Amino acid sequence: MIVFVGLGVIVGGAFTALNHVLGPKRPSRVKSEPYECGLPTEVTRTFRFGISFYMVAMLFILFDIEVVFLYPVGVLLNASDSVFVLVEIALFVFLLLVGFVYVWRRGALNWR
Amino acid sequence: MGTTWYLVLSALLFAIGAGGVLVRRSPLVILLCLELMLNSANLALLAFGRNLGNADAQVFAMIVMVVAACEVVVGLGLIVAMYRRRIPLDVDEARELRG
Amino acid sequence: MIETPAIDYGALSPIIALVAGICVVLLVGLIGPRGRRGLSSALTLATLAAAAGLLVWQLGEPDADLVAGALRSDGLSITIGLIVVAAAALVVPLQLRDPAAEEAGFGETHTLLLGSVLGMLLLAEAQNLISFFVALELLSIPLYVLCGSHRSRSRSLESGLKYLIVGSIGSATLLYGSAFIYGGSGGATDFTAIAQGIGADLADDPLVLIGIALVAVGLAFKVSIAPFHQWTPDVYEGAPTPITAFMAVATKAAAFAVFARFFITALGPSADQWQPALAALAAVTIVVGNVGALGQDSLKRLLGYSGVAQAGYMLTGLLLGTVKGIDALVFYLAAYMLINMAAFAVIAVRERETAYGDDITAVQGIGKDRPALAWSLTISMLALAGLPGTAGFIGKLFLIEAAVAGNYTWLGVFIVVGSMISLVYYLRVVAAIWMRPAPRLAPAMAGASTEAAGEPGLPRRTGEPGRTPSGAPSGGRCWLVLGAILAATAATVAFGIVPSPLIDFSAHAGEGLASMLGPG
Repeated sequence: MIVFVGLGVIVGGAFTALNHVLGPKRPSRVKSEPYECGLPTEVTRTFRFGISFYMVAMLFILFDIEVVFLYPVGVLLNASDSVFVLVEIALFVFLLLVGFVYVWRRGALNWR
Repeated sequence: MGTTWYLVLSALLFAIGAGGVLVRRSPLVILLCLELMLNSANLALLAFGRNLGNADAQVFAMIVMVVAACEVVVGLGLIVAMYRRRIPLDVDEARELRG
Repeated sequence: MIETPAIDYGALSPIIALVAGICVVLLVGLIGPRGRRGLSSALTLATLAAAAGLLVWQLGEPDADLVAGALRSDGLSITIGLIVVAAAALVVPLQLRDPAAEEAGFGETHTLLLGSVLGMLLLAEAQNLISFFVALELLSIPLYVLCGSHRSRSRSLESGLKYLIVGSIGSATLLYGSAFIYGGSGGATDFTAIAQGIGADLADDPLVLIGIALVAVGLAFKVSIAPFHQWTPDVYEGAPTPITAFMAVATKAAAFAVFARFFITALGPSADQWQPALAALAAVTIVVGNVGALGQDSLKRLLGYSGVAQAGYMLTGLLLGTVKGIDALVFYLAAYMLINMAAFAVIAVRERETAYGDDITAVQGIGKDRPALAWSLTISMLALAGLPGTAGFIGKLFLIEAAVAGNYTWLGVFIVVGSMISLVYYLRVVAAIWMRPAPRLAPAMAGASTEAAGEPGLPRRTGEPGRTPSGAPSGGRCWLVLGAILAATAATVAFGIVPSPLIDFSAHAGEGLASMLGPG
């Protein structure tokens, strides 16, 4: 029990303390400017942002990663002959399709 | 080689991720660090699963990957929206809501 | 050969209804002009009504494990589900004239809202680490988007991003904890299997101990228990008000449901070891929330801090691990839902009518002009403080009674002291409503002065007072909104005077977990 209380206090305290210690203190702007993977930390006025590119990229990530769920079915397909699996997959693809129809009709795929 | 070293590695990754979230200022890097935290958990899960010969962990890890992708997409969407509104992308400056 | 998992379609029907509703609402949002507010709102309400009907039907059915034990439909999940659905149904009329929903599109807003409700129902039913995590994310991700849905207001975007970051830290912590519990319990993901896997002495296995601590921290982030509450007032203030209302009430209900299920089902045997830790957290939360609310001028921030304090009260009911405690928790959640919905709705209406945003000035002197709003807000504030004659009082009474019965009298004392502190800031609002004169400044001037300290150079946070961006008349006089406010307020008073229907309702929750719980 004491271990538990101690752990609670330590974890809680650590999060709060870290927040205070590491959080908002910036002595001078240039000195505290960290190198953020080559990305400027501030938006410059002339910076052009390829919105279409980001839109398509984000949608790609989503639909691409959803396919992960088809993988276990592929592994198990040999061992199964049940209608249940088929219906499951059909449902899953249907739900993805609803999302796709939305994205398509909303015009997110139009390259501008 | 036992599970221990995997766990040590995952703990390190988790700590790096958590530290990054607290210290870094660019929301993009913060998103990266969040991914690191989720993936360190994945590593721990898979290490345990392999050690125990239990496949549940793999299912769990796959679901976590999908969830992480969703989170990142939402985060990126918000960042894009902020870019368009020309809000400085620096979580220290986004201090209108503070205190 | 794969075995087909056992699925109880009857008990799963509320979930199925919601999924179907989400698809329909999303696709209907595509047809016709963007402001399909009537049709999509009606469909959303129909979906929620269907889900509520199916949940009520399930209340009479025996408890059941769904989908190979990943979910469980019992008294707790159904009562919490009904609270969540009711909260969402009260939010829908509030969205009708909301500038954020107007801007993001009604189909989208309502789809996300329903998605979050689906996540909450699943979370209340989750009985497995995997479904727990998935449901939690399904609940959170739509809320991140909804918080940022008022794209022309930088505060809204900021609150969305902030919520995303903090929420994801919570999720990642929780996931890491789940991994350790999975490893420490010998590969168990079901809550019941975890209970068998880890036994009664937590100190035996550091792995499990770390896991449980991390899961508790992750959950504490979600229900805003101190010291993991710092995001709450910020996010509440920045998000569009109807979303804040939904978030404050429904997230808390669903997260507390799984909190209870996890700690009581999976960790029941070791209750005497985690109770003191949670009790300490509850005490800290009550103090921090009530003290934090004292100096707040923004009503949404004030309710945010008050929400932190209420989370502390609710945690008290949870940690007792008794049927009485769970009943009190669910009763309190139901009362809290009614009270908070009314309060946030009044704030939303005033936000659209005046240029003061959610500042306390916005409700000054409304006693004369808008008696209905004034009385609703007054009653809500008094109910949150726990004055007799309201559901808030009965809720606190049950919590304290359960705490005393569960040998946590000192926490009961904390609740009483917390309520006394809270009177200071709740009464300040009541005083502003009735005793201060209505502000006489020209709206434009007032807008400028509230903005001066905030963000120079960015557009004002509210549009022309009394007008939504599309130029539609203000939602202030919308009968549906007023009806929702009055209904919630009337219910607050009614259940304060005749609490027995709500007592019967919350008694279902304790029954659901009764086999796991001690008597009393």
